[in-house]
Amino acid sequence: MPHRLRDAPGLGDLRAILQWRLPVPGPIAAIEQQAGATVVRLQGDLTVRSAGALHRQLRALGRRRDLGRVVVDFAGAERIDSAGMAAVSLARRRLEQRRVPFEVTALDEAHRAVLAQIERAAAAAPPGEVAPPGALERIGERVLDAAAGVRAFIGLMGETVRQTLAVATRRAKLPAGSVARQIAEMGADGVPIIALLSCMLGLTVGFQAVLQLQRFGAGVFVADTIGLSMVRELAPLMSAIILTGRTGAAIAAELGTMRVRSEIDALSAMGISPVRFLVVPRLLAITVAGPALALFSMAVGIAGGMLIAQAVLDLGPVSFFARVTERVTMGDFLHGMSKSFVFSWIVGFSGAHLGMRAGDDASSVGAAATKTVVTGVSLIIVVDAIFATVSSLGKHYT
Amino acid sequence: MSEHTRSTLLECRDVSVGYEAPVVTDVELRVQRGEILALLGGSGSGKSTLLRAFTGLLPPLSGEIRLFGKSLYDLPHDERMRLLHRTGTAFQQDALFSGMTVAENVALPLRELTRLPRAVIREMVEVRLSAVGLAGYGKRAPASLSGGQRKRVALARASIMDPELLFIDEPSAGLDPIVAATIDETLIGFREALGITMIVVTHELESIRAIADRAVMLGRGKVIAEGTIDELSQSREDIVYHFFHRVAEGSPAAPSVR
Repeated sequence: MPHRLRDAPGLGDLRAILQWRLPVPGPIAAIEQQAGATVVRLQGDLTVRSAGALHRQLRALGRRRDLGRVVVDFAGAERIDSAGMAAVSLARRRLEQRRVPFEVTALDEAHRAVLAQIERAAAAAPPGEVAPPGALERIGERVLDAAAGVRAFIGLMGETVRQTLAVATRRAKLPAGSVARQIAEMGADGVPIIALLSCMLGLTVGFQAVLQLQRFGAGVFVADTIGLSMVRELAPLMSAIILTGRTGAAIAAELGTMRVRSEIDALSAMGISPVRFLVVPRLLAITVAGPALALFSMAVGIAGGMLIAQAVLDLGPVSFFARVTERVTMGDFLHGMSKSFVFSWIVGFSGAHLGMRAGDDASSVGAAATKTVVTGVSLIIVVDAIFATVSSLGKHYT
Repeated sequence: MSEHTRSTLLECRDVSVGYEAPVVTDVELRVQRGEILALLGGSGSGKSTLLRAFTGLLPPLSGEIRLFGKSLYDLPHDERMRLLHRTGTAFQQDALFSGMTVAENVALPLRELTRLPRAVIREMVEVRLSAVGLAGYGKRAPASLSGGQRKRVALARASIMDPELLFIDEPSAGLDPIVAATIDETLIGFREALGITMIVVTHELESIRAIADRAVMLGRGKVIAEGTIDELSQSREDIVYHFFHRVAEGSPAAPSVR
């Protein structure tokens, strides 16, 4: 056989290397006509490397209209592997469908063994293939799935409330130290990133505001802008989005992994409520950590704006802070903080729900984490819009 | 034997289990106090699914499962939990909590379900760990143990509450024969020292012969045979014969027994 990888040029011969291509095998079967039969004489090795060519050749043969009988002669064939035999059996199947008689001759022991394997597979094939579900069925499945998801979500919320009450009334207890550890993980470990991003945000918003306000000689109002936007909008939103990415995804991945490793089943079988053991501590922790991070973010963001006011307007920290406290009311602060509570629960519940519902394989854990981030961020932005609408309506009518 | 020791701990009445479609149907089963019952069957025959139903994780599609004389799935949630506290389960994957040490894993049911003082719990954990041959391993992380050691930790955790009934899914799957034998010894020790009744899902012939009093064999979506190990190994039923004599179905070595 001329086409072998070992015919490739040596490394010294640069030109030959550039011109050398992976060899494409030529015809590997000689086709002859004999009294009423078409004889395909196989030659040489029929392996993974040449099976493609053989298949093309046989397919071309199969398209001919003048076939009386096809005989595949293995006398010249040497090594044959599953790929080579698959090409032959494929041709046979196609010809038999067209009612062209097909024979194989002169197989040696090894050929027969490979062929037998393929025939056994054909015999064992299920009678009819199960049709894949149609579009309508898939929609139906999705709807049922979604409904089951909503039911499970409501169930989880109910069970969480029930277990929290049980813990609060001391009928049940939480695993020792779990809430504190979770708060440390969710809150304290998130401080650096929240500090960095909030400060940047304060600087950016401050800078933009100063540029615009200065045109009207109202530069000093930068303090109002920063104070209000940080406290009412940016800090709760920003910290919630970071919370989703850091904590929501972590909750989903952690619970999902426990599901995959049957740790959640183990809890249920021990008669320990997985919701009490795993979900309640995380939700309590996020209820503390989320708003705490938002509060921290407000402070750092305002400090960032203060830097800009100092640098661009020469407005000192004392007068800046005086303006902020004058403009930002307790109502604004409570608005921001209550949003932050709601956002934290959105993150906590979606992470817990999707993690607990993860499937039994590794990929479903990743999917649960991703879904938590997408669901969490979308819900947070939608709820934020609802908050803004409702509060502005309130202002309008009072 | 007194009435108490002869009592039925687990009973299945015409039970079908499965997820959407039934995997096993028409299961009739009784487990008496003190016996070790092996649940046999090939892969996919529904052994583990049935075990999930016994442990309160999967309601049967039809029929009734009675645990300690009460219908498991008809009970209100809290009462069912109390019933499950009297059982222990060792899962096929060891299901140890990776964030906790070995001792914390074993102590978990005690810490969560009882109000025992810490010192007592620590003592009980030490005793149980040495009973499964892992004395001194308490401070290690589960990930640092070998497969056989993790299984033994899982057995220690499943048995720490002194359950009356212990469910064990594939105790020696994937372990070498010597380690598998130590697991079998651990189980026999549990019965002798603690009087625990056990349902063991397995397809290890060696360990069935070593530990089980009685076996139930699943196949073709049903219970196909039930009896003592001797009775089963004499059975001429196709699947049972193939199982006990290690002959592949349809191979020429198998006699025609239908």
